[in-house]
Amino acid sequence: MTELSKDIVGKKLDQYEYTVERGKIKEFCLAIGETDSIYFNLDEAKKAGYDDIPAPPTFTTVIQFWGYPKIWHDLEAIGIDIKKMLHIKEEYNYLKTIYPGTYKAQPEIIDVKTGKMDMVTFKTIFTNEKNEPVIEAEMAVVIMPDAK
Amino acid sequence: MKTLNFNQIESGMELPSLIIGKLTHAAIIRYAGASGDFNPIHNDPEAAKAYGLGGTVAHGMFVMAYLGRYCTSLTDKRRVKTFHAKFKGMARPGQTLTCTGKIKRKKEENGEKLAVISMEVADENGEVKVSGEMSVICDH
Repeated sequence: MTELSKDIVGKKLDQYEYTVERGKIKEFCLAIGETDSIYFNLDEAKKAGYDDIPAPPTFTTVIQFWGYPKIWHDLEAIGIDIKKMLHIKEEYNYLKTIYPGTYKAQPEIIDVKTGKMDMVTFKTIFTNEKNEPVIEAEMAVVIMPDAK
Repeated sequence: MKTLNFNQIESGMELPSLIIGKLTHAAIIRYAGASGDFNPIHNDPEAAKAYGLGGTVAHGMFVMAYLGRYCTSLTDKRRVKTFHAKFKGMARPGQTLTCTGKIKRKKEENGEKLAVISMEVADENGEVKVSGEMSVICDH
């Protein structure tokens, strides 16, 4: 297996694309127990001043896993043992509301710490059809050392 | 629009909590399907045991999604500028989760009046699963 190295800082993973649909927003909201009608009813969303049904705060997870299912393979390829990987941090900077439509995402490795416990930080910028950034997301994972 | 008023909040002020309820294996499976995260540690008890976890655990992002619900129960989502979370503990089926929060500080930045809110999701024994922070634009 590839050894994790600081040389991958700055490396971009594959850009991917995902089309957000109202039905997927509804499905996600049902899964997390969200009940606010703005996520389920277009008239209610418009009454609240939205252009369409908005996506809830952590919806980019859906874009990531459904838009980039080969993420697991690509993590292994840069030297992350996904069996020992733990997600430790997730951060969002919200720039615009995500509505139904097609979004592009570009993940990049922005930090690698190696040592007793390795840590890798990714930054992903999600952009809408007008190429405007809507969310900047940072995710950090640690790789648990072997239990001896 | 639900908002926080800058003049009516003070640092240290506790905010209304949000009771999520009992986490079930079925809810975790449903989140796996909705999110597309099919890591077996969340959906396959045998695989989770083989990984040394003793049984399935919820996705960190599932628990963070509960905290996201908490954010938007306090203020309109368009007022949330940033939302950060740290994953602290494993949430397991059978645990009852609650979100709590308080005003960490108030600040003015680039003409905006902001509240920084610290939040956490914990189980019935007070064990924190996810802690987080959001910055929110307030009315004034």
